[in-house]
Amino acid sequence: MRLLVVEDDLAIQRFLERALEESGYQVDVAGNGKKAESKALEGIYDAFIIDLGLPDIDGLDLIAKCRAQGISAPVLILSARRSVDERVRGLEQGGDDYLTKPFSFAELLARLRGLLRRFSAPQSDSVHLQAADLQLDLVRHEARRGDQLLQLTPQEFSLLEYLCRNAGRVVTRTMILDHVWRMRIDPATNVVDVHIYRLRSKVDQNSSTPLIHTIRGVGYVLKHA
Amino acid sequence: MLKFWKATAAWRISIWTTLAFAFGTALAFSIVYFLVAKAIQERSDAWLSGEAEVLVRVSVNTPQDRLYNRIVREVAELATQELPDERNARGQRLNSVFFLENDPNNTAGPLWVGPGLEADFQRAIQRTNPVPGVPQTIRVEGWSTTFRVVTRQENGRTIYLGLSTRGARHLLRTLTGLCLLLWGSTVFMGFLISYLSAHRTLLRVQSITNTVARIGSQDFGERLPQPGNSDEISRLAQTFNHMLDRIQGSVHELRSVTDAVAHDLKSPVTSIRGVLESALSRDSDETWRDSVAEAIEGLDGLLCTLDTTLDVAEAQAGALRLERTTVDLSTVVRQLVDLYRPAMDERHHELIIDIEDHIAADADRSLLNRILSNLVENEIAHLPVGCRIVFRLRSQKGSANLVIEDNGPGFPPDIASRAFERFVRGKQSQGHGLGLAFVDAVVRAHGGTAKISGSPSGGAVVTLSLPAIVFPTE
Repeated sequence: MRLLVVEDDLAIQRFLERALEESGYQVDVAGNGKKAESKALEGIYDAFIIDLGLPDIDGLDLIAKCRAQGISAPVLILSARRSVDERVRGLEQGGDDYLTKPFSFAELLARLRGLLRRFSAPQSDSVHLQAADLQLDLVRHEARRGDQLLQLTPQEFSLLEYLCRNAGRVVTRTMILDHVWRMRIDPATNVVDVHIYRLRSKVDQNSSTPLIHTIRGVGYVLKHA
Repeated sequence: MLKFWKATAAWRISIWTTLAFAFGTALAFSIVYFLVAKAIQERSDAWLSGEAEVLVRVSVNTPQDRLYNRIVREVAELATQELPDERNARGQRLNSVFFLENDPNNTAGPLWVGPGLEADFQRAIQRTNPVPGVPQTIRVEGWSTTFRVVTRQENGRTIYLGLSTRGARHLLRTLTGLCLLLWGSTVFMGFLISYLSAHRTLLRVQSITNTVARIGSQDFGERLPQPGNSDEISRLAQTFNHMLDRIQGSVHELRSVTDAVAHDLKSPVTSIRGVLESALSRDSDETWRDSVAEAIEGLDGLLCTLDTTLDVAEAQAGALRLERTTVDLSTVVRQLVDLYRPAMDERHHELIIDIEDHIAADADRSLLNRILSNLVENEIAHLPVGCRIVFRLRSQKGSANLVIEDNGPGFPPDIASRAFERFVRGKQSQGHGLGLAFVDAVVRAHGGTAKISGSPSGGAVVTLSLPAIVFPTE
């Protein structure tokens, strides 16, 4: 997977380059819109990460130019503007995604993967999800750990489904609120943690190997051991 | 001079008013002059007509004997002297009067009484060919002034009685001089008065300018003097003082906000720094992880405070961009309560949900979610364990009213009245004091109202009213 990171802030550029390479991507960087455009038009990238505040042109114009040239790879927009531009929201509906600075790298990675998955292959939308000995039946809304049927509320089921879909990857509290509850809020309380504790008590209660792990300072991950 | 002219409004104002004044008074004086001139001529014409009448009667009634010429002449001479004493300083008579009688039957020729030569007058009269009974002006050779002449015809005789206009002209000239003198001094006085009053008024403006300049560069506490009367300039001073009050208030508020933000940022930054520093001084890698995680949590909290501060500032400045859609408030509130239910269960709060269905509003869903979560988190943060919380949503007269009521300790009395202000928080509160300010700002932006009160049991009641969308009932 080859990515183009368009970002004029050198510190963020280097950090993204290093972190993304560590996550197994091939990364090219561009510090301004002009350079980014000529690179993008080569058509070799699977996804773009574009900062909106570029020194020469507006990031959205850059995206529009690429789209006009037939470049269809997904774009993850980085924005320092807190109140997200309506145009960005429009783009988001078109399949792309955005993040406001500062962001956690886990979230960036998760969104990037989401974009790549959406764009690379049509969702292999099975009715079953599986992670270790955990099985979810999305049609009947049933979850089993081993042989045991778990008694979950609809909310807990959605939460478990989300963790399961991202099995092995860290999800942040913000991402959970965004995807499970469809709310972009910044809770100051432990509202998400309480849901996770409850879910965990049901999923991991009778098992010697816990599946739901807390990554302090970041979020949660569902993984085997 | 031009520079001076441009620099002071007093000059310009007084010059323009003086010009207008001069024009007006000139017009008034001209009218007076014209009326007086007309009156003088009418008076002399009346005198002429009257005297001519007398002379005609004398000439008709006097028998045509050898005494006739003498009698008529004497009467005419008497008449010419009848005018009031109108001599100039050198004793010359100003009003020269002449009398002429042409009678073809009079063998002694025309009867002539008057200055100068009879022939000159005869010629002048022939030239103008006067109409009997109507006073007319004739010009006589050798005379600088004209004469008014009245002609009468009786029994074939023609009588001319003339009066020099020199006296009238003299009178009018004196009048003109007097008028000009009066006009000039009036205009001058007018200019002086308007200049002085404009100057006086503008001096007050100048003093305002000086004071404001001083305020701008030095002391925000100073105010313009406000005299008792309420003319335009006093009102200007008043408006200025009002503005200064507001600016001073804003500056003060800004300062306190900055102080509060600095304080809010300082303590977490200090603690994060401390955590990282102690991690560095340790050797074990495993404890580093905990410290880093703690630092990230601290930074997240910091970020949250920063974001909320900016959001509140933006919202209060009216710069909030609302993305309005039709939002089903009933669903939004239920979802939010569902989200927070486990967290509230944990603290053994009893929830009473009393939500009317299908109450919709034209609102920004994500902002609504944020303010509602703010309110619910307030409940979680401030209520002691085991309270009862009521969520009530009702639609009433086109407005959707959400009431969140608890039976906890209520708002501390010292902040109850200011709870929606920024950085106002209870002494026990761990919050940043921005939550309710944000709630208030967002609700206002939606055209609604937010208020807090106390419940009968002493708990807190928060009421949000938003304009509801009313669907026609089927």
